[in-house]
This record gives sequence, C-alpha cells and structure tokens, in this order.
Amino acid sequence: MITPEIIEIKTDVAVIGGGTAGLNCAMAAAESDCDVLVVEKANIVRSGAIAGGIDHFMAYMENGEDWDSREAYLGYVARVAKGASNLKIHEKVYCDELPAAIERIESLGISLRDPRYPNSQDFFRTQSMGQPGPYWINFDGKKLKPRMAREVNRRGCRVLNRVQVTNIFLHDGELAGFTGFDIRTGDFYLIHAKTIIISTGNTNRMFRTQNGNPFNLWYCPANTGDLHRAAYDAGVELANMEYVRMTIVTKGFSTPGFNAFFGMGCKLVNSLGESFTKNYHPMGDKAPRNVMVWGALQEIKEGRGPIYMDARHLSTEDLDHLFKTLGTDKDTLPDYLAAKGYLKDGAMIEMTVSEPMQARPSELCGAGIKIDENCASNVPGIYAAGDAADQMGCLHMCTAGGFAAGKAAAAYAGTVTKHHPVDMTAVRDERERVFKPLGRNSGLHYSEFENVVRIITSDHFGPIKTELSLNAALEKLDGIDGERNNLRATNLHELMRCHESSNIHQVAKIMAHAALVRKESRFAPYHYRADYLETDDDNYCGLIGISKGADGQAQTRFEPLEYPI
Amino acid sequence: MPAVISQTKCTGCGLCDLFCPIDVIHMEGDVAIMRYPDECWHCGACRLHCSKGAVTFEFPASMAGI
Repeated sequence: MITPEIIEIKTDVAVIGGGTAGLNCAMAAAESDCDVLVVEKANIVRSGAIAGGIDHFMAYMENGEDWDSREAYLGYVARVAKGASNLKIHEKVYCDELPAAIERIESLGISLRDPRYPNSQDFFRTQSMGQPGPYWINFDGKKLKPRMAREVNRRGCRVLNRVQVTNIFLHDGELAGFTGFDIRTGDFYLIHAKTIIISTGNTNRMFRTQNGNPFNLWYCPANTGDLHRAAYDAGVELANMEYVRMTIVTKGFSTPGFNAFFGMGCKLVNSLGESFTKNYHPMGDKAPRNVMVWGALQEIKEGRGPIYMDARHLSTEDLDHLFKTLGTDKDTLPDYLAAKGYLKDGAMIEMTVSEPMQARPSELCGAGIKIDENCASNVPGIYAAGDAADQMGCLHMCTAGGFAAGKAAAAYAGTVTKHHPVDMTAVRDERERVFKPLGRNSGLHYSEFENVVRIITSDHFGPIKTELSLNAALEKLDGIDGERNNLRATNLHELMRCHESSNIHQVAKIMAHAALVRKESRFAPYHYRADYLETDDDNYCGLIGISKGADGQAQTRFEPLEYPI
Repeated sequence: MPAVISQTKCTGCGLCDLFCPIDVIHMEGDVAIMRYPDECWHCGACRLHCSKGAVTFEFPASMAGI
C-alpha cells in the first residue's frame, strides 16, 4: 500500500467536476475577488457529458410567437416536469440567466446560428420532447468544451486535472474541505475551501446495458455519483433520486441523438412498419422523452419489436444535415451507422431502449443535491450545479444555472472570513481508506463487483419496481457491503474504478430508498411502481428529499411543489 | 476494438492520452496505447485531437453485429 504525503491547497471556491456546469461555475466565480480552483477527474478540455460535442441548446427567445415567451416556456416546464421541477428555482437559475448564457457561448467563438449554412445569422430551431414550439437551437458545439476550458484558464482559475475527489469534511456542520487523489501519480490532496460547488453529473454504469458492455453508454461512464455519495455521507440532502432515466438509442450503440432524429422529423415505427407514438401521446414523435420510451417498451413487450427510426421521408438536404448533426452530438455515431451499412437514402435505422441510469426525469430539472434558489444545499458552504443538482440538467441549464451557482457560491465565500479547520486524523484515516485496495492480495476486482450491483439494480428497479422488489434490492445491496469494502486494485486506474464502483453501489441504495417512499407512478417508466400504477398528484406532486440520518440510515421527507393550474 | 491507434502514424504527442475522459489511453514510451479497450466510451476526443490521423474506430461484433 502507498501512503503519500498530504498535499494541502487553499482556495476560496472549489468547483468539483469540470464539465459544462462546472466550467460555467468557475467562469462566474472568477468574476469575483475569489480564488477559484476546478478539480476534475479527467481533463477539463474534454470531460463530462459533452466531451465529444453537443448539438442542441434549449431556449425560448421572446420573438413574438405565443409559445416563445418566458410564460409559455414555464407552462411547458409545469406540464412536462410536474412534481420534479421547482418553478421558482427554475426561473432563478435558468430564465434569469438565459440571455447572458447565450451571449457567453457565442463570446467563446461558438456560433449558435444555423449550422447548415456558413455565416448564417439565423437560429435553426427544432421541436421535440413535448415542447409547444421549436425550443431547441441546433448548432455545432463540437468545440464548445475546449473553448470553455480555455476561458476558465484565461480568467485565472486554477485547475487540478485527473484528481478523483473522495470525501468531504465539515467543521461544526459547515464545509471545511475535501480530499482527492491523482489517478496517475497517486498524489493525495487535501483542499481547504470556503465553499464548494458540486457539478459531477449523474450516476452511470449502474444498470445492465443493451450489449453487456457497461461503458457503452448514452451518458458519460466516468460520471459515477462520486459526489452524490460523498455529499450524502456529509449530511447533504438529495432529491429526485428515485428516477431511472432512459432514452431511445441506436441498436448496438448507446449514444445521444434523440433530439436530432425527432427534431428533424423522423418517425419511430414498430416491426410492422407502423408509426406508433401517437398511440401513447397526442404529440406522437414530438412527445416528452419518457412517453417515447414507454411506448417503445410496450411495443417491444407486446411483440412488435424491434423498433426502427424511419427517416425515409426526409429530403436529401435534411438527411444530410441529420447525419452531420448526429456526428456533432456523438463524434463516432456516423462511423457506426456506416459500419452497420445504413445508407443515407431510405434509412430505417434499428433502435432500442437504452440502459437505465440515475438521472433527472426530464430535461427541465435535475436529480441529486437538493438546491435552493441560490443553488445552496442544506449544508453551509456546499453548493451544486448541473446534472448533480436536483433542479438543473441538460446543456441549457448547466450553462445558465452553472453561472448562477458560481456567482452565489462566490458571494457566500466572500462572507466567510477564514477557512474552517479540517480534522487531520480524519484525513489520515481517509488516505488509508482510499489507498487500501492497492495493498490487497485478495478481494473482488471492481468489474466483478460492479456487475453484481448491475444485476441487482436491473432485476429489481431497472426501471419497473414494487415495494417487494425494492426491499429485496436493498437487502441484496446491503449484503455485498463486505465485498465493497474489500475491493482489490493493481494500479491507480483500477483504484479509481474501485472507488467509482463503490459509489455506484451506494447511490443505488439511495435510489431504492427514495423509490420506496414514492407510492405512485410518475414519468413512467422512469418511476413506475407496478404496485401503484397511477400518478397521485394529491399526495406526491413534489420532491422526495433523502438524507443520512444520525443513525446512518436513510431518512426521507416530502416537499410539495405547486404549479399554476 | 474501439479506438484503434496506429503505432506507425502515432508521433507520441500525447494529446489523446491527455484528453481521454475515461483514462483508457496511456502513453507507453513514445507512443499512445489503448490500454483499456473495454472501457472506451467511443466519444471520439482522441481522434478529434490527433493531427496525424492515427486514430480510427472499429466496432466489435457486440456492437455492430447485433
């Protein structure tokens, strides 16, 4: 086992997770007098959900059409994210920040204008996911992540790449610091911070995938709930954790592309060649994502699978653009489609339902650290942004809301006169815990342990669940605690994976606990209780808050949410 | 195999290793190696940053074959 010295760093604001939300946090915090440090498990140039590119940004643009106003947009949020999105927070972290967010992206040299025509000044807007009008701005965001990284550096933020954060430390109930290790050198860090912003995305690799490879995922497989788990252990309350998110993906390769396909007018058909989505929602192929997934699952279950993406009716120009923008969103998807032999003309692309994951039930909220209108958690000094927060997610909210969180956290840091002390005995114990898998000669390899977790979650709540299935899942997940505490690593890469697997396992338990409490179905199939089939707005229109009680057990509470009728 | 790095075209600049979000590409001596092929996300970051055209993608039967 290695016992490196403890490298101590002091900062005012630390951003944990340098994806879209985190980099926008850092840009905002850097506008104050604060020292800003970004700690990222990979490299901020290409990390997180949009590492390889992105092609859609949701926005209303006040262009005079009824559907294009803030009011109409909020009506849309209330309709499709009812019970999960807090409208007051949404207005503060997204609506109030939207014009500046659009300006900021373009100031980085990334055009949001029509990607089909060079030098166009028009926006190319498409509609899907239950939107009342074309809220998606389709653009070429292939270089968005590196440009944001450059801007963070230009604004003087310090960056620690390749550091996995392992735990958070409090002093008298307030944030004091956190620890992490370099996944290549093994250096061990203690970061003293006045405030942290957690922006580490959602939790992946938790459920079985369509082809058995746990890394073949729609979302980023490096996002493994590391800070959901650490925050929970530190007493931070989480919300929207019961939701199991899924989408429609190409058969054999789980990637983004949903917006591109349906925004460009493709139709989902069953193996009889019938368009079926209207049977499940009046908006058909432009219905909310969860309804599309529900419909696809029913078609497959009832024997009308496989399902296909029918693009045969698209014009040559639209087909060309569809395949181009699919590659903007997922760089290698066009290579895959070519390898599969799909031609641009007359394409009927076989699709399927993706792997489940821990994430928000809608593009209009998040799932994770429960935040207030200032992006603050219940623990003083701990803030959250992006997919890791319960009220943010997707590019538009990560950009706008990340900036809001950065401003709020920096303002808070300005009120903290000095850093709180960190208990060094606890830090040395943490160092021992972190590096222990490297010293073991026996114990499970992370991949074997993770597979066991995936079998349990997939069988018991991936996504359909009942009280019995959830309790059985918890019993099984608790039953492998011993294996989790005895994982073995032969190098630092495997050590990182051990901690990721351990976090996935513990977040799975949090999900199951939260799902037990919500005795209704909502956003089916994302929370589909076979023992409570209906949506029960009288009792469950709101958030299940979940936190770690003094006895170490999960405790929950219900917070109602109100929507205009 | 997912990302395949040509050992003859690779000039050892290290950018694919640096920017891989999943830590699956490592430098070994003067060339980049796909050390953990089963963990590749196929995001394409390595190819986007390779000025030598050394990175290509091959999809295994478990993906393209099903």
